[in-house]
Amino acid sequence: MVQEDVPDAATIDEAAEDDKVAEDLADDIPGIPVTITEQKSQPGAVFVLERASLEVAKVGKTYQILNSEDHANFLMKHKKNPADYRPDIVHQALLMILDSPLNKAGRIRSVYVKTEKGVLFEVKPHVRIPRTYKRFAGIMLQLLQKLSISAAGKRDKLFRVVKNPVTQYLPLNSRKIGFSFSSEKLVDIQKYVDAVKDDSNFVFVVGAMAHGKVDDEIVEDYISISGYPLSAAWCIARICQGLQHKWSVL
Amino acid sequence: MAKNNGTETKKKNKKKSKQSGVNKVSMKLNLVPKDNPFKTIWSRRKFDVIGKKRKGEERRIGQARTRAIDKRKKTLLKEYEQSGKASVFVDKRIGEQNGTLGEFDKAILRSQRERQMKIKKTNMYNLSDEEEDDLDINDGLRDDFNDDVEYDSDEETGQDRSSISRLGRKSVDADIAEGEGNRVKSKKEVMEEIIQKSKFFKEQKAREKEENEKLVDQLDKDFELLVQSDALSSLTQPSKMNALKALVNPNFSKDLKNKEVTSVSDVSKQDEPDIYDKLVSEMAFEMRARPSDRTKTPEEIAEEEKERLERLEHSANKQSHVSGDDLGDSFTVDDKPLNKKGWVDEIMEKNVSEDTGDEDSGCSDDSDESEDDEEGTDNEEDDGKGETLKDWEESEDDLGTDLDEEDESDEEEEGEDDKTQEERKDKKNERLVNPDRKEQKKTAMLNVGVAQSSRLKKELPFTIDAPGSMEDLYALFQDRSNEDIIEAIMRIRKCNPIHLAAENRKKMQVFYGLLLQYFATLPNQNPLNFQLLNLLVKPLMEMSTEIPYFSAICARERILRTRTKFTEDIKDPEKSSWPSLKTLLLLRLWSMIYPCSDFRHAVMTPASLLMCEYLTRCPVLSVRDAAIGSFLCSIIYLVTKDNKKYFPEALMFLKTLLVAAIDKDPKGIKDSQMYQHLLEFKAPVPLLRIEENIKDIKPLDFLKIMKLPEDSSFFNSQGFRASVLVSVVETLRGFVNVYGELKAFPEIFLPVSALMVKVADQQNMPGVLQEKLRDVGELITTKVEEYHKLRQPLQMRKQKPVPMKLLNPKFEENFVKGRDYDPDRVRAENKKMKRLLKKERRGAVSELRKDNYFLQEVKMKEKQRLDEERAENYGKARAFLQEQEHNFKSGQLGKGRKRRR
Repeated sequence: MVQEDVPDAATIDEAAEDDKVAEDLADDIPGIPVTITEQKSQPGAVFVLERASLEVAKVGKTYQILNSEDHANFLMKHKKNPADYRPDIVHQALLMILDSPLNKAGRIRSVYVKTEKGVLFEVKPHVRIPRTYKRFAGIMLQLLQKLSISAAGKRDKLFRVVKNPVTQYLPLNSRKIGFSFSSEKLVDIQKYVDAVKDDSNFVFVVGAMAHGKVDDEIVEDYISISGYPLSAAWCIARICQGLQHKWSVL
Repeated sequence: MAKNNGTETKKKNKKKSKQSGVNKVSMKLNLVPKDNPFKTIWSRRKFDVIGKKRKGEERRIGQARTRAIDKRKKTLLKEYEQSGKASVFVDKRIGEQNGTLGEFDKAILRSQRERQMKIKKTNMYNLSDEEEDDLDINDGLRDDFNDDVEYDSDEETGQDRSSISRLGRKSVDADIAEGEGNRVKSKKEVMEEIIQKSKFFKEQKAREKEENEKLVDQLDKDFELLVQSDALSSLTQPSKMNALKALVNPNFSKDLKNKEVTSVSDVSKQDEPDIYDKLVSEMAFEMRARPSDRTKTPEEIAEEEKERLERLEHSANKQSHVSGDDLGDSFTVDDKPLNKKGWVDEIMEKNVSEDTGDEDSGCSDDSDESEDDEEGTDNEEDDGKGETLKDWEESEDDLGTDLDEEDESDEEEEGEDDKTQEERKDKKNERLVNPDRKEQKKTAMLNVGVAQSSRLKKELPFTIDAPGSMEDLYALFQDRSNEDIIEAIMRIRKCNPIHLAAENRKKMQVFYGLLLQYFATLPNQNPLNFQLLNLLVKPLMEMSTEIPYFSAICARERILRTRTKFTEDIKDPEKSSWPSLKTLLLLRLWSMIYPCSDFRHAVMTPASLLMCEYLTRCPVLSVRDAAIGSFLCSIIYLVTKDNKKYFPEALMFLKTLLVAAIDKDPKGIKDSQMYQHLLEFKAPVPLLRIEENIKDIKPLDFLKIMKLPEDSSFFNSQGFRASVLVSVVETLRGFVNVYGELKAFPEIFLPVSALMVKVADQQNMPGVLQEKLRDVGELITTKVEEYHKLRQPLQMRKQKPVPMKLLNPKFEENFVKGRDYDPDRVRAENKKMKRLLKKERRGAVSELRKDNYFLQEVKMKEKQRLDEERAENYGKARAFLQEQEHNFKSGQLGKGRKRRR
C-alpha cells in the first residue's frame, strides 16, 4: 500500500507542477489577455490628467499631434497660440506615473487623460510608455484616430478612448483630490495623504496643460502641495512619494 | 458662346452669373432654381480638425434626397408606367438618350453625323471637296471672327449648318494634310539626308588628309632647320643637355630624324666625356653591396665550436709531439707557452661568455682525436683506478640502500665558503636563490680561469668523449679540481651536441644519468665538496633543458625509490625516517631545474608531495629533526612562492614547532586543542623551549647539522634551538607573504599569530627572536584585519518584490487612418473586400427600400387621383340627378324652361 501511495503522491505533485508550468506558459502565450491580479484588499490610486493638449491636425498631407516646437508656424497660420500645444507635458506626466515604484507595486489602478478637446481615454497601468517623445506622439496619434491601442503580441487594450464623464470609471470609496497652485489650501502631501483613511482609494486630478487651471466638478478638495508652481511631473512625483510613504512601497 | 461650346459654357455661365449676375441671356436661358432651405442642411462634423479641408465632407442631405427622387422619377417611374403595357416607344434619335445634352446640342450632333455620312459616301468620287474646303476655311475664318457678333441671330439654321460642316470637315482635312506631309518627309528627305551626309563626310576626310600631309611636310622642314641649329649649338653646350634635348625632340618627329639627332649627340659625347658618364663608368666597377652574414643556427654554432676545439686539440697534440721530440731544446720552446697562454685565455673568455650567454654547443666526434683522448686519459685512470672503483661501489651501496650510513658518513667540517652558501640556502628564504648561485658560480669560474689556466691546459684534453659508465666518469673526474670537472663536462657537452648527431642524444642521456648519480653521491664523500655540488647545478640544469623527458624520467624514478624507502623506514619507530642530505639536495636541485609555477608538473608535484609526506609522517623526536623539517619547509616555501599552492602540511609543521617552543602547561595545551594530536604524534615534549638566556643567535648551518652525529650535544644547546626557531619564524613570514592573497588567510594564520605572541612571551626568549616573532605576528594581524574589513557578513537572501509585467503598446510609425496594418496581406485584402461588400449591400438594401417607398407613394397618389376622380364623377352624377329630381319636383322640366321663361 505504502509503495503504491508514494508514486501517487509523486504524480499529484507532478500534476500540480505541470499545472503551474502550463499557467506560466499561458501567461506568455500571445493572444491570451493578461489578467492583472487586483488585490482587492489594497487601496489604489487613480490619476486623472485634465486638459491634456493632444490635438490631431492635418499638417501638410499627414496627420500629426500638434506641438509648439514643430508646428509653431502652422499654428500661427491657423491663429492658435503655439504655447498652448504642449503634448510633452502629458508624456512626462505619464512617464512619472507609470515609472513610479507605486505603479511597479501595482498600486495604481489606472490613468485617465482628458484632452483639451474633451476626448477621454484610459491608460492601463501596465503600459510601458515610450521613452522618446516622437514615439509617444505616434501612439497618441494612432489612439486618437483609431480609438484604441493594443499590446504588442497580445490582445488586451492598453489605451482606450472611453465615454465621458470620467466619474463613471472612478472607484466608489475614493477621495478625489484636485491640485492647483491657485488653491488657498497649502498642505504637505505626505501628511495629507496619511490623514486619509487607510481603506479609501485616491483619485488625483492633475492638470497637464501649460497655462490655466483645472476646473472639474468631480473634485472634492482642491489643494496645493507647494508654495511654488510645480510642473505636472513634479507634482505627480510628490504625490507618488507621499503615497509610497503611506503604503510603505520602497 | 454658350451655344457653341455646349455644356462647358453652361457651367461657365453659372459661374459668371454667380460672380456678376449681369449676363441677361444666361439668366434667361437657365434659370437656377432657388435652393429649398430645407434641402441645404449641411452634415455636421464631430471634431474640427485643424488643417483639414471641409470640402470633401460637406453633403447636402435634402438636395441629395430630391436628386434621388428625380432620378427615380426618370427611371423607376417610367418602368412602372411601362410595366402594364404591351409595346414600348423607343426614341433612337441621336443624343436623345443623353440627358445632359440640350436641344441645341442634340441638333449639332445630328447634323454632324449627317455630314460625316455624306463625306464618307462621296470621298472617292467627289472632287469638289477641296474647293469647298478652301472656301470653308475662308468662311470659317469669317465665322470665327463674326462668331460673337452673329450670336444673336443663331436662329438661322443655314449658317449654323455651314459652321458645323466647317468644324467637322476642317478637322478631317487637317488630319489628312498632316499625314501626307509626314510621309513625304520620311521617304525623300531621309534618303537625301543620308546621301548628303556621306558626301559631306567624304569631302571632309579628303580635306583633312590633305591638311595633315601639308602639316607634316611643314613640320619636317621646320625640324630640319631646328636640327641643324641644334647641332651647331650642341658643340658648345655640355653633351648631357644635348642628349636630353635629342631625346625630347624626336617625340613629335619621325624615326629618321630621331636617328640623325642621336648620331649627332653621340658625336658630341665622343668628343667630350662627361662627369656624369665618368661617374657611371666608375660605378660599374664599384663593389656591390652583399648580404650580411646571417644569424647562425645553433647547429652551425655547434659545428664551429667543435671545429675550434678540434683545432685546439690538434695543435695541442702537435705541441706535445714537438715537445716530446725536442725535449733537449730549451731555446725554441720558450715562444710556445706564450702562444698557448693566449689560447687558454681565449678559452677562458669563451667560458665566461658561455656562462652569460645561453647557447649550448658541441661538435661531432673525430676519431683521431678521440683516440688521442683515450691515450691521454688512460694514463690518468691508471693512477687511481683502485680507489675510484672502491668509491663507486660505496656510492652505489649508498644510493641503493642505506640512508643512515649516509647521514653518519657525512659528518665532516666544511670550508667557510660552503658555510655561507648554506646559510643563504637555509635562512634567507625571501631572496631568490638561483641568481645568487649563478653569480657566485660566474665569479668562481673567472677566478679559476685566471688562477689555474696552466693546469687545465696541461691535463684536460680539448675533445672528450661522453663517458658511458660510472667508471669512466670517475676516471675522468678523478683528482681533478672542481673547475676542471666543470670544464670537462662543458667540453663533453660541446663535443657531443644533440643537434648534430642522433647517437649523441643517447650518449648525452647516459651522461646525464651518470652526472646525476655523481651529484647524488657527492654528499657522501668526505670531506663534502660543496663547491663542486654548486658548480654541478648549472650543467645539470642546462642538460635537463636539452633532454627534458629523460631528465624528468630520472627524477621521477629517484623520487619513487626514495618514497618506497621512506615507507619502509617509517615502519620502524626506532629509526629516524627524516630524509638524508642527499635527498634534500636532490629535492633542492629539482626545485631549481623544473618550473615550480606549474600547477601540475611531472616532477615537482610528486616531489612536493613527498616533502609534505615527510613533514606529516616523520615524528619529531629531536631538535635535529625539527631543523631538517624546517629546511624542508623552506624548500616548500620556495616552491609555493611560484605556484601559490597551499601546503597545509608545511604550515602545520611550523605551527607544531612553535607549540613545541611553549612551556608545557596544561592550560596552553588546552587552548590549542587542535594541535594536540599533532603534538602527541610529533613533539610530545617542548623540544624548542629555550630555558636559558642566550646572548646571540647564530644562523643555522644546515650542512653542519647534517654532519653532526644524532646524539651530538650541539643539538641540545639553547643556541641551536633559538636558531631553529629563527628559521621557523622566517619561513613563516615567507608563507604569510605568499598566502596573503588567499581568501582564508585569517583562518589559516590567526592561530599562528596567537601562537607567536605566546612564544614571544616565553621566558628567556632572546630579544632578537622576540622582536622577529612579534613582527611576523603583527604582519599577520594587520593582514587579517584587512581581510576582516573586506568581508561582508552573510545575509539571508532578500526576496525582491516582483515588479509588474509591463507591456509595450503596438503602434505604427506613420499611422494613416483607414489603412490596414495587418502584416498578412491576403487577410487584409479579404477584410477590405468584406467591408466593401457589406457597405455595398447596405447601400443596395437602402436603395431598394427607397424604391419601394417611392413606388408606394406613386401608387398611393394614383389611387388618390382615381378616388378623387371617382368622387368627382359621383358628385357630378349625383348633382345632375338631384337637379333633375328637383326640377321634376318643382314642376319645371328643365333649366331651359326656366331660362326660357
